[in-house]
Order: sequence, then C-alpha cells, then structure tokens
Amino acid sequence: MKMTPTLIIIGGAAIFAVVLLIVVILPWTTISEEPSEIFRPRTEIEQRGRVLYVKNGCTYCHTQFVRNIDWGLGAERIARSGDYIEDQPHLLGTERTGPDLSQEGGEHPDDWHLAHFVNPRYVRPESIMPSWGFLGIDNIRALIAYKQSLGFTMADYRVARQKHWKQKSIEAYEAGPDDNVKWLHERVPEPWRQLPNPYPTTAAGLQRGQRIYQGFCIGCHGPIGDGMGPAQPYLYPPPLNFTVLRDRGVSGGIFYYQIMNGITGTAMPYFKRELESEKIWDVGNYVAVTFIGQSDAGRPPRGIPAAYETQPEVRE
Amino acid sequence: MKLFKDEPYGTTKLFFLSSAVWFVIGTLAGFIDATHLAAPELLGDIPWIVFGRIRPMHTNLVIFGFVGSALLGTAHYLVPTLVHTPLYSERLGKASLWIWNVAVIAGTATLSMAYSQGREYAEWIWPVDMAVLTALAMMFYNLLQTVVRRKEKILYVSTWYVFGGLVFTFFIYFFGNAVWNPGTGAITGMPDAILAWFYGHGVVGLFLTPLAVASAYYIIPIVSRSPLYSHTLSLVGFWTILMIYTHIGTHHLLQTPAPTWLKVIAISGSLGMLIPVATVLVNLWLTMRGRLGYLHADIGGKFIFAGLVWYLLTCIQGPLQSLPVVQRVTHLNNWVIAHAHLGVLGFSGTIALGSMYFILPRITGHSLYSRRLADVQYWLVLIGMAGFFTVLTAAGLIQGNGWLNGEVVYRLLPQIHVYMLLRVSIGILIVGAACIGLYNIVMTLRGERSVTETP
Ligand code: HEC
Ligand code: HEC
Ligand code: HEM
Repeated sequence: MKMTPTLIIIGGAAIFAVVLLIVVILPWTTISEEPSEIFRPRTEIEQRGRVLYVKNGCTYCHTQFVRNIDWGLGAERIARSGDYIEDQPHLLGTERTGPDLSQEGGEHPDDWHLAHFVNPRYVRPESIMPSWGFLGIDNIRALIAYKQSLGFTMADYRVARQKHWKQKSIEAYEAGPDDNVKWLHERVPEPWRQLPNPYPTTAAGLQRGQRIYQGFCIGCHGPIGDGMGPAQPYLYPPPLNFTVLRDRGVSGGIFYYQIMNGITGTAMPYFKRELESEKIWDVGNYVAVTFIGQSDAGRPPRGIPAAYETQPEVRE
Repeated sequence: MKLFKDEPYGTTKLFFLSSAVWFVIGTLAGFIDATHLAAPELLGDIPWIVFGRIRPMHTNLVIFGFVGSALLGTAHYLVPTLVHTPLYSERLGKASLWIWNVAVIAGTATLSMAYSQGREYAEWIWPVDMAVLTALAMMFYNLLQTVVRRKEKILYVSTWYVFGGLVFTFFIYFFGNAVWNPGTGAITGMPDAILAWFYGHGVVGLFLTPLAVASAYYIIPIVSRSPLYSHTLSLVGFWTILMIYTHIGTHHLLQTPAPTWLKVIAISGSLGMLIPVATVLVNLWLTMRGRLGYLHADIGGKFIFAGLVWYLLTCIQGPLQSLPVVQRVTHLNNWVIAHAHLGVLGFSGTIALGSMYFILPRITGHSLYSRRLADVQYWLVLIGMAGFFTVLTAAGLIQGNGWLNGEVVYRLLPQIHVYMLLRVSIGILIVGAACIGLYNIVMTLRGERSVTETP
C-alpha cells in the first residue's frame, strides 16, 4: 500500500465518519427520549444549583447513577436512561471519592446540607470534601435545592417526609427539654425502649465507642457531648445535649434505635449503613457512660452471654 | 530564539519551551489536587484552587499543555525532516503555537473562575475551544503544505501518524465539545455521556497516542542504528488504531444505562486494541532488538524506551479493565487514576520528554545543557510513575473491594488516607522532575553548557 497524504487524510476522515455514525449518531437517534417513571422537570432554583454543580466540579468526586452491584448502598432503584433526558451536560461521573448522589434528595434535611456545605467536617469529621462557604449563602441554597431534587419524585416523597418531621421536632424542641426527650423517646418502638444494652461496659468497648464518636458524631454533639459541635449554629433543632438525658429514662435500646435509624426531620442521620451492630452498641454506651454518667450496659434481662465475653474480674 | 520571527525550527523550539513550562504548572496543579485529598483543610478555602476546579485545570494542563505541546513541537520537526523540506511557514507555525498557548492559559484561568463545561477533558469553554480548533487547523495546513512541497516522495510511518492524529484530533475535538451548542458544549441525556466519552477516549487515544507513536517510530530506528523492522506491521498498526480506538469510548460507561449493543462494541474493541498496540510494539521491539546499549547511550532514546514499556503496561491493563467482571472492582476509584497516569505521564509524557531531549540538540546545533540533569529527571519520573501506579492501584483496590463488600464511601476514607499521603509525597518527585526539566531546557535553548560536564 502506497501511503500518500490524500490516502491518509481521506481515509482517516472516512473512517472517522463511519465510526461517528455507528457509535455516536446511531445511539443518539435511537436512545428513547421517554422519561422514566420517576422523572419530573427541575424547577428554576434546582436548575441554578445544577449549573453550580457543573461549574464547581462536584462531578469529579460524585457519580449520579446507581449500579446493580451497589447493593450495599441500598440500591433501591437502578439508574435508567430515562432519568437523564433533561441533563445537559450529563453528570454521570467517573469517580466515587464521595458517595453517589443520584438519590440524594431527602436523605438529609436542608439544615444538615447547610452545615455540610459550609464545612463538610462539621457533620462528617473525616470527610475530604472541600468547604463551599465561599460560594455565598444564596448559591448554597440553590445547591441544596438541587441536591434535594436528586431522585425526582422519589426524592420529593422523602423531602416531604423530612419537612413533616422537621415541623414536629422543632415543636418538641421548643417545648423544653422534658417534652423534647419525651417526644423523642415516644417515637421509639416500645420493645426497644425496654431493652438494656446487652453487653457489659468494658475498657476496650469504651475505646471503640470513643473512636466511633470522634469519627462520626463529634462535629454535632461536640467533644463533651453538650451538642455544641461546630455544626451547631447551622442546625435547628440543634444537636442533642446528651446531659439532658440524665434521669430521663434513656435506655441502651433507645440509643441503639436512634443511632441506627436516625431522627428524620432533624439533622441526626441514620448510621445503619456506616456502623455494624457492635459499633452502635459501643458508641451508645460510650455516650451513656461518658456524657450522661448512667448506663444500663450488661443489666438484666440478658440472654445467653456472648461467647467472647471475658470474666468480669479479668475484664477490669 | 525569537518569539514571532522566521527562524529554522523556531516553532518546535517554542513548543518545547511551552511544554516545559506547562509541565511545571500542570504538575503543580496536580500536586495541589493531591494535597486536597490528603489534607482538605491545609490550603484553606481558596476558591480558585478548590478541588473541583483545580482538577480539570490539572488534567487539561498536562494533556494539552505539557504532553500536547511537546508532541506537536515534535511533529513540526519530524515532518519537515522526514520529507527533506523546510516547514512551509515558520511564521504560521509560531502563530498556531501562540494561539495554542493562549488557549491553554485562557482555559486554565477560566476554569479557576468556575467557567467550566463539566465534561472530562472538554471542560474548556467555547471561546477556548475555538482557539484550540483554529490552532489545530493552522498546524494541519502548515504541515500539509510542507508535505505537498516535499522532496522525498515516500512518506515514512511517523508522517502518517502525525496526519492521522491531527485529522482525528480536529474532528473529535469539534464533535466532542458539541461546538454547535456554545452555551453548554454538550448534547442532552445519555447520548451526551456517550459523546463525551467518545471524545474523552479520543483525546488520549487519537491525539496523544498517534503523536507519541510517531515520535517513537522516528527516534527508535535512529538511536538503535537499525532500519525499521517491517513496513507491513506499520500499515496494520496505523489503520487498525484509527478503526478500533475510535469505537471504544463507551467502555467508560459500562455500568450506566447505555445501550447494551454499544457496550458490546466497546468491550470487543477494547480487546481488539491489542492488535494495533502489539503491531507497533513488536515492530519497534524487533527494530531495537540486541541494541539496547545504543538506545540507552542516548538520553532521548532512553526516555522513549521507558515510554514504550509504559505503553505496553497501559495497553495490557486497558483491555483487562474494560471487562465488566474486572470493572466491578476497578471502576469509579483510584485504580482508574493509576491507569490514567500510566497512559498520560508514563507512556505519552515520557515519550514527549524523550522527543524533546532527542530533538533539541539537533535543532539548536549544540548539545543539551546537562545530560546529567536529564538523567536525574529520567529517574525521578520513572520512580515517581512506578510509585504513583502502586499507591493508586492499592487505594483503588481497597475502595473497589470495600464497596463490593457493602461498605459506604465514608467508612473507606480513613482506609485510603495513608495512600493519599504517599501520593502527595511521590508528587514531589514529579514536580521536582518538571522543574529540573524546565531549567535544563531553558538553559539548552539559551545555548549554555553545564560547566561541571565535560563534553
Ligand atoms: C474532593 C472530592 C469532593 C468534591 C469536589 C465534592 N465532594 Fe461532596 N463529598 C465528598 C466526600 C468524600 C463525601 C462523603 C463525606 C461527607 O459526607 O462529607 C461527600 C459527601 C457529599 C454529600 C453528602 C452525601 C450524603 O448523603 O452523605 C453531598 C450532598 C455532597 N457531597 C455534595 C457535593 C456538592 C454539591 C459538591 C460540589 C459543590 C461536592 N459535593 C463536591 C467529596 C467531594
Ligand atoms: C449532623 C449532626 C449530628 C450528627 C453527626 C450526629 N447527631 Fe445525634 N442528634 C443530632 C440531632 C439534631 C439530634 C436531635 C435533637 C433534637 O431533636 O432535639 C440528635 C439526637 C441524637 C440522639 C437521640 C437521643 C434520644 O434520647 O433520643 C442520640 C442517641 C444521638 N443523637 C447520638 C448520636 C451519635 C452516637 C452520633 C454519632 C454516631 C450522632 N448522634 C451523630 C445531630 C447529630
Ligand atoms: C489498549 C488501549 C487502552 C484501553 C483498552 C484502555 C481502556 C480504558 C478503560 C476501560 C478506562 C475506563 C476505566 C474505568 O473507568 O473503569 C480507561 C480510562 C482511562 N484511560 Fe485508558 N485504555 C487504553 C490506553 C490508554 C492510553 C494509551 C492512555 C493515555 C495516553 C489512556 C488514558 C486513560 C485515561 C486518562 C483514563 C481515565 C478516564 C477517566 O477520567 O475516567 N488509556 N482506559
């Protein structure tokens, strides 16, 4: 084959044209433009938030599609191409330095997002996400609106639930500590309320609890558990001051349930995906022992002791 | 060296100087990126270097600024030399160079001010896209006019790659940036993701790769003092890369709701990439067989050889990680970042450096300022690259396996922290290498000679 400039250029352009036709034009014209079952158009402020997301490169750390192998993320719904029909540019992303955001709407209330955008380490002490306070409160509001829209109608459902419980939790908080604690605990199912922490307090357990507390809770509940962590000014109702739980009938079961499930409406997130069972008991007991000074750990009724439990004399 | 005036190989010299400058700035940007991931509070809240902005500044600076400039400069040397005809117009060449540099500067500055189109390697906004396309068109015209006036009738394989690369880069850039949509530089929905990765993959596969291969095809036979092994292999390698590399962008989207048939094309094409890669490497390998001594005696040859080894590794890893079973673990985490550095810094970046060191003495008429500094740079890049690859791959495997095991992202952040620290430390080697390179190239262009080295 004799290679001449004409051959190279015409040949190259011809190959390009054919390939463009097959791998770009063909899918472009054949992919269905049908909206998926959860789709709804974005509002103006949500769209404004999306533009900020594009311009500030959130997409380098966050994906926007749930995969069928993401079972651990609670893959309630796998992404469909009909979810993206209004996206220009696409924001699928290629890296999960941070979590997937395609179903972010309603995971947290707005005040959690505000604290998180001002400084992610306020609510997630080990986060490596940048702080976005410099964007100004107006832009952050738009970003939050966009976040709350991710997941479309599925998000709307969750956001409505956040709003509903936000209202109730504020009322309870404003009624004073007695009523607030009562309200909080009445939301916990009865069997959990009765349940003491089944594992006795040990030095190792407290250490584990402390490690968890520092990695997950300290930004809100504060280093001394008084609810005055750096996120406090942004959150309403503010993070619980654990000392108000003293003599107000808290139990290991209540701790477990609240930490596992979170308190929708307040900034208190659920930790059932982050923390395994033992870690939840441990951090609950750490809070009980260190900040409240009252713990029901190891108190009867108990089942058969766990196999790893050491003799009480050796433990101390 | 003159900035605008006619002068033999002036375009190439300026491209090399630009490349050396962009290498320093681009790797500094990358270094800041890495710092953010290791210590997010360290640099405070400086808006214009926040991670989301400096990351595209970094990728575009190293692709278009550092590697791109060096390889385009190399093309402006290779083509005239191979056809025994001076460059059609050095003035046009320098004009295209300045437009190219203005594009890199403007693109970087606008990204820092949050003017971004948000698609990987297509972030630069429309006016910058126009500058890039204009510069590419001018270079193409200039080199074409040179070839049309050629004294040597037979075109060597490097020339094919230069022209193939330029034609494809122009079109891929044009379509990939959706320049008919100046506001967003994108089309809508899943087709946009497909187009964006058609482009994203094209930038590395049809801009950096052909130009780097062109340079290797030119330099390897010269430094190993042996004719090219096979013309037929060159032909196969050239046409198959154009046909196959273009098809496979969707391997970036295997886990998204892109059409299945397109994924099948992408995966089979990715495996098919072994053909062009193997033909090029076998051809060059057999050319230099038994002659590694010659190769390593020449500082340019030494870099090119290292670049080809990285090429082999990149292109073994590439097809492997385009398999869906592998991507279950490797997709969306630092594994991909390791591969990206292997391709861009290890393969095309190392070849870009080698080309500059090979060509500079030939166009300035005197030897390098310091061969020893170039050697130091060689080792810094080699060690840095190997370190990057190891550390990032390890971090990626931790993330990928953790997620498969049901871990949330947040829980794994402390796990990868130590790797992010190591990566910052290794980054110092690369930034150091870039600074040494800049010094060496500036001094060489000024015609200086290191006093500690006897010729
Ligand atoms: C350096 C990478 C990085 C960048 C850039 C980044 N994030 Fe994050 N993001 C993270 C990490 C890591 C987490 C997980 C820890 C946390 O919650 O802070 C996260 C968490 C989040 C969450 C909370 C998800 C949840 O429910 O737990 C939201 C919302 C979010 N990011 C939005 C954004 C937005 C909007 C931007 C752009 C303005 C952005 N991120 C930019 C890394 C990043
Ligand atoms: C983003 C801030 C935030 C973080 C992080 C956070 N909390 Fe909370 N927490 C709250 C808020 C707000 C409330 C509810 C206050 C109210 O309604 O008065 C709360 C309530 C609670 C309660 C309810 C107590 C009860 O008696 O019902 C417990 C227990 C608790 N948090 C423990 C933790 C633990 C343990 C962690 C870490 C694993 C943690 N929290 C992390 C904000 C936070
Ligand atoms: C045989 C050739 C190659 C194949 C089959 C291949 C395959 C792939 C695949 C499948 C990915 C996506 C990985 C993922 O997201 O899970 C990828 C990413 C990447 N590749 Fe390659 N690759 C090849 C060669 C190269 C070369 C030569 C370069 C550089 C010159 C390169 C640069 C990149 C870059 C920069 C990315 C990262 C894209 C991103 O940001 O997500 N690749 N490659």
